[in-house]
Order: sequence, then structure tokens, then C-alpha cells
Amino acid sequence: MSELHTPQAGDDHAPDLDVVGLLMRQHGDIRNLFDEVEQSKGDERRDAFHRLVRLLAVHETAEEEVVHPFARRAFEGGEQVVEDRLAEERAAKETLSALDDLDTDDPEFLPKLRALRTDVQEHARAEERYEFTHIRRSTDVTNLATMAKAVKAAEAMAPTRPHPGVESAAANVALGPVAALMDRTKDAVRKAMKNG
Amino acid sequence: MTFNPLEQRGIPLDRQLRSWRELNVPPIDPDRCDPYTRCRIITMNGIEVEAIMFSHQLARNTVDPEVKRQLARTRYIEAQQQKVVNWLLPGVSSVLETTIAYEQVAVDLTGWVARMEPDPYLKQAYEFGVLEDFDHLYRYANLYEMIEHRKAESIVDNLTEVMPGRPTRFHHRDPVDNVRDPYDKDTTNPLSKLHALTIMSAEQQTMNFYMNVGPQYMEPIARQLYQEIGLIEEEHVTHYESLVDPGETWWEQLVNHEYNECYLYYSFMEQESDPKVKAIWELHLNMELEHLHIACDLMRRHDGREPQEVLAPELPNVLTFEPNKQYLRHLLDTQMDLTTLGAGYVREAHERFEKMQEQIHGGEEPPSDRVMAEHDEMFGREYRVQSEGEHPDPAMREK
Ligand SMILES: [Fe+2]
Ligand SMILES: [Fe+2]
Ligand SMILES: [Fe+2]
Ligand SMILES: [Fe+2]
Ligand SMILES: [Fe+2]
Ligand SMILES: [Fe+2]
Repeated sequence: MSELHTPQAGDDHAPDLDVVGLLMRQHGDIRNLFDEVEQSKGDERRDAFHRLVRLLAVHETAEEEVVHPFARRAFEGGEQVVEDRLAEERAAKETLSALDDLDTDDPEFLPKLRALRTDVQEHARAEERYEFTHIRRSTDVTNLATMAKAVKAAEAMAPTRPHPGVESAAANVALGPVAALMDRTKDAVRKAMKNG
Repeated sequence: MTFNPLEQRGIPLDRQLRSWRELNVPPIDPDRCDPYTRCRIITMNGIEVEAIMFSHQLARNTVDPEVKRQLARTRYIEAQQQKVVNWLLPGVSSVLETTIAYEQVAVDLTGWVARMEPDPYLKQAYEFGVLEDFDHLYRYANLYEMIEHRKAESIVDNLTEVMPGRPTRFHHRDPVDNVRDPYDKDTTNPLSKLHALTIMSAEQQTMNFYMNVGPQYMEPIARQLYQEIGLIEEEHVTHYESLVDPGETWWEQLVNHEYNECYLYYSFMEQESDPKVKAIWELHLNMELEHLHIACDLMRRHDGREPQEVLAPELPNVLTFEPNKQYLRHLLDTQMDLTTLGAGYVREAHERFEKMQEQIHGGEEPPSDRVMAEHDEMFGREYRVQSEGEHPDPAMREK
């Protein structure tokens, strides 16, 4: 792999006026983190997995707070589409918490991670194809931008890649347990939606 | 090489039909497959699509209803083969990911063919074309990072470098300058016929793919880039199809198509790393042997000639997917500034070329340049994979 680093959604210089484009880039960020976990070992893997868990938590929470409620109301059949996505998200969360109990160097870790990766990737494509396309079609640019703003507020909660020479693992641990992170993400999103 | 398809019998045609269960093949895993497995799938899909469309054209030019029925029987099997082959591609891949794989095919398939091509004029045609698809790969890779935040190396996996080729804006030539001279069917090396048919089919599938999937994108730059490169793929089809001698009879062409399918399935079976996919190549080879046999009978009957007269005495050396990095670097160093004039190649922008350029660009930057500008706005850099060092052409190094 080349040394080029792709910044996470929100950290690139995209105008981020479209929630769908933003979430699609975040889907890529999640895949990149899966790569990082798979390709590293020891402390590095532990740190990458830590960031993956948090980005997933923030991403799914933002979707649950911002786009899923909108999709439910926005189009015919939206209710069912969102139910399907939520079921996938619940299943992924279960695998994730099982993984969280394992040490990242445990021989069972990688096979489980790969299974999770497959589920997460199928879920992401299902969102893009069956939910996001409808969202773009059902709303105007102002609303897409408002939702983008709320998702960005959520993103600010996710730890980013450690910069060389900076010890960020400690900072990431300081963010506390995933459940607390989700709560903070919800608060941030709701605040942004109100102000939007 | 001891394998001679003319001397082998495959599966009888009436035993080639597959049920839904057999057609329902499990797709490859896009995150863990051998990138060249995906390249072989894309290549064989293009070959099967050509087999189907060629047979349709032949049927439309056939009067005898019994022959039409015979063509229909084989063609239905080709259609099933196409379903099995193309359905090996996974649903989780995005259109852009498949696109990048298509351009990797264009680079490494054409690269291999150019290296192996015995005829210098044909070789030049492949060397000219490969530098263009090489540039397409670079443009799409930058678009991919913009839209999906993923790097093309997660698809091409360091087997193929990603950097500028002949800039895409220069690929728009006056259509008459895309027509090449054909090989001579009676004197050319049989391998040259297989090469031309293979590359023509792959480019045709690429053209079909872009012209159909391009509008699925919502991002304006993506839609426009597919339009631009889609038009160039049409030029490539014109370029490569004109290499084939139009003096070949329909039946001779049918024999060449079936022989080429045998050649490619045999080649890919020999090198396939994925056992499930390998089993498909083997099964399809055994089907093609019978298609070839049927085609040979039709040729004998209608042309009164022996197929051996037009085919290689034995199967040529297997066609292989492998990195062509050094070869491409050599071409980047020597053939960047070529364009076509008539059926030949020149270094200067001539009048007809300049006129076409003026008209199509209309004084504006084409999508292939704007995608780079937009990528730069987003990331402050380009996306490249230069595993073998900096770009051979100093003018093409990243500023
Ligand atoms: Fe989700
Ligand atoms: Fe998502
Ligand atoms: Fe076939
Ligand atoms: Fe191309
Ligand atoms: Fe091409
Ligand atoms: Fe065939």
C-alpha cells in the first residue's frame, strides 16, 4: 500500500453540502480502517481497531439520528427499508461487541473481524442503493446540507488517525466506553439539527 | 504445448444446458480476491458478450432456417456462460470499482498482447492504445478516492501502477484517423488473429459498460467523465476492430471466435488461483471444444474449406495476466506524444487532429482534467501509485 493517506470524511476539503456524499465517503473510511486493522499487529492493531469501533459507532448513530428518520417519512416504502437497515445495524453491533471482548491478537479475532467486515460492507451498499438514492430524490439541497451539517457534528466525536509522533491512543481511550460515545454523538447531532 | 483444440471433443451440446441452481454461482470476495481473477472474469465476460452478439449478427445474415436453429442452440449456451462468468462479480462492488478493474484489464491484457504480438504494425496498434487506457485508470482512480474515499490500489493491488499516460484530452481524434489497416488473413500469424479478436472484444465490452452505467452516477463530474471516456472506448473499438481482415468469411470468423474462446479458457484455467473459478474455466473450455467442432462443420459445409487452413497448428503459448510495469514505463518514455494520422502514427498534432480537439473541447477543460482539479481541491494532491519510481516522463511528474 502506498503512503498516501486519505483523510476521513469531514477532514478533506469537500464542501460537504450533501449528506449522501458525506456518508458514502465515510463508508470508505470504515473500509480503510478495516484494512488498517487487518494489516497491522500488536499495539498498532489494537489502536486501529479502537478507532474502527468508534467510527462505526459514530457513523451508525448519526445515521440513526439523521437519515433513517428522514427516510422513514420521505418515500413510499421508506419504513420497511429503514427497518431492514436497522436490523442489519443491530446484527453488526452484536458481532462488534463479541469482537470487543477478544484481544486483537487472539486467533479468533481476524476471522470474526472479516465476517463483520462483510456484513458492514453489505449493509453500507444496501444503504447507498435502497435508502440514500431515495433521500437525494426526495429532498432539496437545503435539507441535504442541514443533514450533512448534523452528520459532521457527529463526526467530530470520532477519533481520527494519530499523527506521527503524537500519542493519540491515550486520547482515544479518554473518550471512554462506546456507549458514552454514542450518547455524546446523539447530543451533538440533535443540537446541530436544532440549529440547522 | 500439446493441447490442440481441434483434436479434442468436449461436452455434447445437448448436455451443456444448466439449471438455475447451476447458474447461481457464488461471487468472488472483492476485498480478498486475486485482482487478476477479477481481470480474467471481466475479460471472459467481454469474450462471451462478443460470442453472443456475433452469433446474432450471423443469424441475421443467414437464410437457411436449419442453420439459424443450429446457431440459436449454441448461442443460448454462450448466453448461459456469460451469465455464469459475469455473475462471479460481487454485488457489493460499486460501479466505479468495477470500472477500475475494467481499466486494469485494458492495461495488463493489452500490455501482454503488445509484448507477444509478432507483427510490428499490430504491435504498434496495441502499444498506442494501452497508454490511453493507462491514463483512464489514473483518472477513474482519482474520481474513486473523491467519491468513496478509497484508493485504487485496494483494487489493482500494486500489480498495476497508477499514474498519467497519454493525457485523456488528446484521445479525441477525428474518427477517420481511428481506422487502422487490417492484417492479411492468409499470411498473418494465427496468434495475431486471436490477439485482435480478444482486444476488440474487451474494448467493446468496456464501451458497452461505460455507455450504460455512466448515468447511474449523480455527481456531475462522474457523469461527465464516463461520457468522455465512453466516447474514447468507442474510438478504441474502431481502432482494434479495423485490424481484423474483413475478407474472412462469416464461417471463418465463427471458427476464429470459438477457437479464441478455447484458447482463453485454456489459458485462464492454467493460471487461475481461485479453485472455484478455475472449475468454471475448465467446464467452459469443455463446452467451447464442442462449439468449435460445430463451427468447423459449418465452415466445411458452407465454405468448402478445412478450418485447419486458417487456424494455428496448435494452441499458442497461454495468454497471461501479469504485471507489465517495466514495459509500460518504456512506452511512457517513448510514445506519450503519438497520435494517429490515417492508418499510421505521427508525433505532431496535425490539422485534422487540432480541428477535432477544438470542436470537442469548445475552449473548455474536459472532464478528465476537471476531475484532477476537483480532486486537488479536496485533497491537495493527486492519487498515484508509482511503485517503480517517479514517472518516466519528466513533464508528467507531480508538481
Ligand atoms: Fe448504517
Ligand atoms: Fe452507513
Ligand atoms: Fe462461450
Ligand atoms: Fe479505457
Ligand atoms: Fe480502451
Ligand atoms: Fe463458444
